[in-house]
Amino acid sequence: MSRIASLKISVSGVRGIVGQSLTPQLVTAFAAAFGSYAGRGPVLVGSDTRPSRHMVMPAVAAGLMSTGAEVVDLGICPVPSIQYMVAKTRAFGGIAVTASHNPIEWNALKFIGPKGLFLNQYRAEEVLDIYHQGEFRRVRDGEVRSVRRERGAFAAHLEGILKHIDREAIARRGFRVMVDCVNGAGAVATPELLAALGCRATVMHTSVDEPFPHCPEPIAENLQELVRTAREAEVDIAFAQDADADRLAIVSAKRGAIGEEYTVALAVKQVLKRVKAPVVVNLSTTQLVEDIAAAAGVEVQRTKVGEINVTERLLAVNGAVGGEGTGGAIIPAIHPCRDSFAAMATVLQLLAEEERSLEEIIDGLPRYAIVKRKAACPPERVFRVLRRIEETLGDGAAVDRSDGVRLTWERKWLHVRSSNTEPIMRVVAEAPGEDEARRLADKALVELKRCAE
Amino acid sequence: MKQFKIGTSWIRGVVGNGLTAELVTDFACAYGTYVGGREVVLARDTRASSPMLGAAALAGLLSTGCDVADAGVCPTPAAQYLVRSRRAGGGIAVTGSHNAAGWNALKFIDEEGALLNSVRGEALLDLYHLGEHTKASWDRLGKRKEAAGYVDAYLADTVGRLSVAAIRAAKFRVAVDLVNGTAAVAIREFLGFLGCEPILINAEMDRDFAHDPAPNARNMRQLEALLGHIRADAGFAVNTDVDRVGIVTEKGVALSEESTFPLVADHVLAGGGAVAVTNLSTSMMVDRVAERHGARIVRTKIGEGNVIFRAINEDAVLAGEGSGGVALMPVSRAFDGFLTMALVLEAMAAGGRPISDLAGRLPAFLMKKGEIPCSPDRVYHVLEEFRGFYRCEEVDLTDGIRVTWPGHWIHVRASNTEPILRVIVEGEDPERVERDFADTLFRVNTVVHGKS
Repeated sequence: MSRIASLKISVSGVRGIVGQSLTPQLVTAFAAAFGSYAGRGPVLVGSDTRPSRHMVMPAVAAGLMSTGAEVVDLGICPVPSIQYMVAKTRAFGGIAVTASHNPIEWNALKFIGPKGLFLNQYRAEEVLDIYHQGEFRRVRDGEVRSVRRERGAFAAHLEGILKHIDREAIARRGFRVMVDCVNGAGAVATPELLAALGCRATVMHTSVDEPFPHCPEPIAENLQELVRTAREAEVDIAFAQDADADRLAIVSAKRGAIGEEYTVALAVKQVLKRVKAPVVVNLSTTQLVEDIAAAAGVEVQRTKVGEINVTERLLAVNGAVGGEGTGGAIIPAIHPCRDSFAAMATVLQLLAEEERSLEEIIDGLPRYAIVKRKAACPPERVFRVLRRIEETLGDGAAVDRSDGVRLTWERKWLHVRSSNTEPIMRVVAEAPGEDEARRLADKALVELKRCAE
Repeated sequence: MKQFKIGTSWIRGVVGNGLTAELVTDFACAYGTYVGGREVVLARDTRASSPMLGAAALAGLLSTGCDVADAGVCPTPAAQYLVRSRRAGGGIAVTGSHNAAGWNALKFIDEEGALLNSVRGEALLDLYHLGEHTKASWDRLGKRKEAAGYVDAYLADTVGRLSVAAIRAAKFRVAVDLVNGTAAVAIREFLGFLGCEPILINAEMDRDFAHDPAPNARNMRQLEALLGHIRADAGFAVNTDVDRVGIVTEKGVALSEESTFPLVADHVLAGGGAVAVTNLSTSMMVDRVAERHGARIVRTKIGEGNVIFRAINEDAVLAGEGSGGVALMPVSRAFDGFLTMALVLEAMAAGGRPISDLAGRLPAFLMKKGEIPCSPDRVYHVLEEFRGFYRCEEVDLTDGIRVTWPGHWIHVRASNTEPILRVIVEGEDPERVERDFADTLFRVNTVVHGKS
């Protein structure tokens, strides 16, 4: 079972454990499949800081080159910067070598298409079909193109962010900011961003050749060191990135890790001040965005979980802002992808304009407790679990079955779905009170386990 | 049909049609498993596909936990030297060597710096077929190290062991055709080291090959023309990864690629009593040269790995093939183009005689080479039937069929690279050679097409 579980090939890409399932053969073949799809490219390739990048990157390059695609090597590069560069240089697409928030033994390929958006389900399925058919485009010796090195991706990305940010307003405040880059791809970029915004910054864990100091998922349990140091230093605000710098969590010097849901909520609050257009978030994101959007007089639309689902809806409805509650804020004006840098700058601008402290801003918002759980579930039981949850817990709830099942009551909701990236089911519940949210989540978990066993 | 072939110490194919990134990854994983996690030297030639196949080899090797000393663009004999000087576990050279543009290959180097012999090659192949490669966890993956800056040490430890002072004193003007291959990384240092004045053509590594890279007379016309117009003491043509050398005299006459080995042998074997090893298809010029010096010639199957392995076992001083590859065994276990050129220059300096004179001392035989298309599944049937024509004569079945008479021989064997049968006839009597060549082609053709 552990062998099967260590590999996940899905529309989100291919993800596995190095030394078990993520072999150079698999990587080369997937890159060749993507190259067959991409034609002559160019294809931009970048990685997070996992040590296995030294093995995976050449395998990606070999696969792409074998199909005649032009490869542009961005080196260690945040995923949002790869996406930004694909759009800016009108490249065909990109491959990000990153397992994002997964532990260090994992690595993955994420496929980026034209305009710097992740492949949607249909495009990803085309690539998967090419992979499974195994008939890759082959070019002759003379048609193999050499790799071009490009190290300016974040500089271009930063320039793009700053066009939409009031640098002066932020710099005037001289914020004291602390960031935990988890020795990830953010390390090559975050200090530059904060310098550009005139912050008095302390950036920790920026050694890209060192292993992650803690699990790179920016959730409360992994942020204890940041919470402690931020408290001691009495900073105005602290942030934590994941390994590929698409997700961001906010830490308060006084309140500790306030929950990664606030990243999207605060970004929504700031962006809606100027742009009156719909907000798009996934089904698992805090209902705080509904309250904030209602105050601004705009609607909230919810999509399936997965960055590309949110992004496509945002673009379709010309939305102002959105994202995913796991810390992924999307500001389409900058670039329609989850972007920890754009989120950091936007939240800092909110702080600058409100002239209130982070804690005061949070206190001015409705308070919810969100509880997240997960449990293993054999794939063939998923449907039964969902039916069971709906039957036993769905009384009086509005039901949404577009991604697992989401039950929504007045100021309370429950979302149960199978993960895109791991062979597990995720349970998220939110309610005004901690106890209530926990009770709801636990009830779902009991039903889930009963059905799954 | 896919163009791909596995040999004793290499895999070779047409890029994109047989030789793919995935296949190279698999072989690199098998090789990393074979060397058991020790360091592997990685070299590549200047073909457009070599960085691609090199990247695949790098990924495969690192995944098995082998550190990789990346020599970048590097002649194969220099990579073979690096394996020894770094005490690495082995090496992989990504190079199409003498093959035409469109082809590429991996050559596998053992820990002694020789290409894999047949025993080791089979062990590697078994691992490849088994497909159960070592998979290092993320914290045990190999690391890539730069292995540049080896040229001076390589030259000092190889060419430097010849009579350098004598060569320097001669102040030769030497023209070299590099065929836009890897020789460019070391040729100026090499000629400078020997005090020679360089005249280089096709020395750009980022260009397409100026001509087919096998250094035979047909491909040395440009060099012939050059030496017809300017004064130089010698002209050399090397192939992409510098394991073979062809010679053009100071008069602008290209010698047959068969001449390189006997010409060097005439110089090296002069001490007497020595052994030299060559393959079954190489001209008997070297036998006559050996006789002249009281030396002994041993013949093996075709292929650098086989010839060198036998040379080690025979304690030979020299090994070589008619294709222009020569190894000076006490110095290295590689067919080394630099060392070969240096040996020719040393011979010129020692005798104080022009290269045309040295070539003139070689016995004159007529050699005819031909090829007949034959699908791989028919080869052994054809050879078996062809053998029936020669019941009484001395027949050697080491590699195809070689029939030898005094001063005359015929060799028919399967090509290592293409679905063809190669026919070679050589002898003292040109008329007999022409007649036997025509007869042999006819006989083989008859068998191939099933008409008897």
